[in-house]
Amino acid sequence: MRFLALILAGCAASLAQTPLDPSAAEWKSAAAVSLALNRTPPLYSTDAPASLDIASVELRLLRGAAGNFVRLEWADKTHDTAAIAKAERAWQSEQLVKQSDATNRFNDACAVMIPARPVVGDLSPSLQMGDAEHPVRIFLWDAARGAAIMEASGRETTKRTGQSFPAQGQYKDGRWTVTMQLPAWPEGTPLAVAVWNGSQQDRDGRKYFTIWFRPR
Amino acid sequence: MPEHQISMVLDLNKCLGCQTCTMACKKLWTDGDGMDYMYWNNVETRPGQGYPRNWDKIGGGFEDGKLRPSEIPTKEDYGQTFEYNYAERLFQGGPQAMPQEEVRNTPNWDEDVGAMTLGENYYFYLPRLCNHCTNPACLEACPRKAIYKRAEDGIVLVDQERCEGYRYCVRACPYKKIYFNELLGKAQKCIFCYPRIENSEANACARQCPGRLRFVGFLDDPTSAVHKLVHVYKVALGLFPEKGTAPNVFYVPPFNPPRRGSYGKSVLEDPRMPMDYLQYLFGGEVIDVIRRLEGELQRAQNGSKSEVLQLLIGRDDQVRYQIPKHGDLIQLPGGRKA
Repeated sequence: MRFLALILAGCAASLAQTPLDPSAAEWKSAAAVSLALNRTPPLYSTDAPASLDIASVELRLLRGAAGNFVRLEWADKTHDTAAIAKAERAWQSEQLVKQSDATNRFNDACAVMIPARPVVGDLSPSLQMGDAEHPVRIFLWDAARGAAIMEASGRETTKRTGQSFPAQGQYKDGRWTVTMQLPAWPEGTPLAVAVWNGSQQDRDGRKYFTIWFRPR
Repeated sequence: MPEHQISMVLDLNKCLGCQTCTMACKKLWTDGDGMDYMYWNNVETRPGQGYPRNWDKIGGGFEDGKLRPSEIPTKEDYGQTFEYNYAERLFQGGPQAMPQEEVRNTPNWDEDVGAMTLGENYYFYLPRLCNHCTNPACLEACPRKAIYKRAEDGIVLVDQERCEGYRYCVRACPYKKIYFNELLGKAQKCIFCYPRIENSEANACARQCPGRLRFVGFLDDPTSAVHKLVHVYKVALGLFPEKGTAPNVFYVPPFNPPRRGSYGKSVLEDPRMPMDYLQYLFGGEVIDVIRRLEGELQRAQNGSKSEVLQLLIGRDDQVRYQIPKHGDLIQLPGGRKA
């Protein structure tokens, strides 16, 4: 496991104000770490491998009493999101039904994965959503559907907890900047990042991912 | 494999193309938000583009045991869901009720168009629903295992809690009978009216059919009409058997008399529609089925009784539907998933 130094900046007093704003002043003093992105292999042998259009994601971290603030920034030429109406009625009466506008579009998204239990030594959980002994928590942000906390203990076990978390996303000049307010984690805890590019039909395991990274 | 398999047989010779089944299903199951474009049951004219457009040509199903997923059909492939300018027409003196947008495609866009052979037009109606396959490609494709096939009746369902709307199932289904509700972010499909089936009641599409062309029962029940039509008389076939999903909805193929001027000849000698089109839809076995049906017709015309044709008349519900009480059927812990 490689260890990269990350300068932790800020203090509890300033954290309480604006770090969820991607352009907040606090972020300027937080060191950025560039994490290389990889692509998962195609799910079906008949699908061509997806191209590596996004080479890296920039991670900044602020730690404080209010929890940890994570700021992810990456270049993405396509802004894949949509205003999706909320489904309210399973059956209509005299109301006009709300329509599904599209069947084949996918949204840009990102996620931070963290071990659900304290890690011991250098051993990190499996990158494929942990395993039964090493469960993980996933903080997912979707450009259209917002933030959701998920749990997993291995491939195909990911499930929603029904909880959300504070997050903000901003798309400007061909770049996404997403900030998340996450619960505090013990020193030495690794985290991994995933990015989905909607225009590449990314969803689920079809995604960009980093290996585990341990901020210090 | 499920313990039992519910099934439907549709006699295409009796379909009127009236869409009553389509509307029965629509009003019962797909009348909610995000479901506007979905027709879990639809009736399309064949030959024709189908719903969604070109579903039969874009892929899906299995080849050599491996999934061969297609692209996801677009909303326009399914057909636009437009409103009419009724308010303008009724209250503002507009000339006529018109769609509020330019219409380029709808689910029944090429109704009654068909095709030509030897200077004559031919077509028939093909009602379609989820085939509740024995080997469902949608189930195989789902990385979240959100799709399951019920042990007690083989009905294929989407667990709406597990589903994350990834749409691998949409790509995998060779019949394109699983849909994406964008508002919910979930895949949705025909549930074979399982709450009705559990109550010994036939599906809404079947019960509402004025042509009485649908038979419902268990394939493994030797007393059922579906068992007799599929396994005993062998006059019903699934769509696109080469797709490898083993569909459990079967069709009695259209059995038109020979063309004008060929009275007395076999339908295979001078068919009204090219047999290769029926073979395209139902596989090579369709020729044997048509020979069988022709034999039954001759038997009836010669004054003998044809059990097959008598059954296909489907005089009443008792003839068409054999749906045991769910409690009697299961013999399994409730809700067990196959």
